Amino acid sequence: MSFADYVASRWQELLVDAAQHASAVIQCTLIAAVLGVALGVAVHRSPAGSAVATALTSAVLTIPSFALLGLLIPVLGLGVAPTVTALVLYALLPIVRNTIVGLAGVDPAVLDAARGIGMSRAGVLTRVQLRLAWPAVLTGMRVSTQLLMGIAAIAAYVKGPGLGNVIFSGLSRVGSANAINLALAGTIGVVIVALVLDGAYVLLGRLTISRGVA
Amino acid sequence: MTTTNPRAERIRLFAQPVVVLVGLAAVLGVIASGPLDDIEQRNINVSTILGLTWQHLLLSVAVTAIVVLVGVPLGVVLTRRWARPAAPFVLVLANIGQAAPAIGLLVLFFLVTGATGFWIAALPIALYALLPVLRNTIVGIQQVDPSLVEAGRGIGMSASAVLRRIELPLAVPLILAGLRTSLVLAVGTATLAFFVAGGGLGVLIDTGDKLGRYSVLVTGAVLAMALALLVDWLGALAERYLAPRGLR
Repeated sequence: MSFADYVASRWQELLVDAAQHASAVIQCTLIAAVLGVALGVAVHRSPAGSAVATALTSAVLTIPSFALLGLLIPVLGLGVAPTVTALVLYALLPIVRNTIVGLAGVDPAVLDAARGIGMSRAGVLTRVQLRLAWPAVLTGMRVSTQLLMGIAAIAAYVKGPGLGNVIFSGLSRVGSANAINLALAGTIGVVIVALVLDGAYVLLGRLTISRGVA
Repeated sequence: MTTTNPRAERIRLFAQPVVVLVGLAAVLGVIASGPLDDIEQRNINVSTILGLTWQHLLLSVAVTAIVVLVGVPLGVVLTRRWARPAAPFVLVLANIGQAAPAIGLLVLFFLVTGATGFWIAALPIALYALLPVLRNTIVGIQQVDPSLVEAGRGIGMSASAVLRRIELPLAVPLILAGLRTSLVLAVGTATLAFFVAGGGLGVLIDTGDKLGRYSVLVTGAVLAMALALLVDWLGALAERYLAPRGLR
């Protein structure tokens, strides 16, 4: 069967796998964004805290994803738990780093002005600082999403959802007619999902970055 | 991976090797001191562990060699005047290639060639790890101040002398940063080589998982982590001490 015929005949299943892949990556990026922005906000005032948070999260990023996933099996078993844990951990670095950089880049004069017109500390944070740092945070999320695409494919080894399963079933059917079609469909599928989500980030940036910032 | 926060880099330069070696010794000590059954003894012994670690390192070194030998010359060629229009297209292609999952490239290469072993793992991993070095070589040469190139030509240097004595030395810090990223990618992706019978520490992780011996799995995973963090640390050292002295 040619690749085109194969995709045409398995269109529905591939679409489900692609949707699950995208959904796992998006949800984990969102969890990492909440945690990462909170961490960034907590440490951004202290240079030492910022350095430690950046050093720790960047060391995590160095760890081979297959080793981390493997290490999580004895602790969390198979399925959703190890997948989500690993994906969230890997997504943290770009978001934490960019939150810290974004918050540090806010002009102190703007903060003075905000306090001067009587805004509370929380008000300054949510209505001034985070809005000005948002473009940087969003860039961090975009980098994280691209990073998670490939790691999510490996997570199929621990029975995670998504297109990795298509690749692995290609591997397990080595020698059969459809093995290459499966691996090719899984690989190209990940690339397509990655490109679509990357486009979505550009759109999201247009819609959510306040006009005064950009 | 590179962090842009100089203080964080300094912390990692000092703390990382210490934490890694102490942690590795602790985990391996606990596992080795416990009672091990037959299967565990067959997998957790000095010769097996050293053999697989050596294989893992060899794979990473081969990948890095390919990446440097292909990435730097290709990057240089793409910054020459006659090839410059092609650079953005190559970068877009490389970016899309980077979006492809490493496991997919490995499995595809194995299925298409029908072969297994060291090079069947090394070649797709090299393709995957190529982008950081290629991109940083191009960007590193592009950001060289044009007036320096002019000055070099003005004092009578040939185009190749300008490349060797001005452009490349000034691009070295960025090339080294890209090389560090590539190295980390290579060591990390080498844990997947066992899927195509390429060996490496992934073998222990998979064996431990398949046979339900978590001690074997943890040994492999912790060794792979330690190796990646140490190689990254060596990359950090290289970034710090191999750049031309005037640029540090």
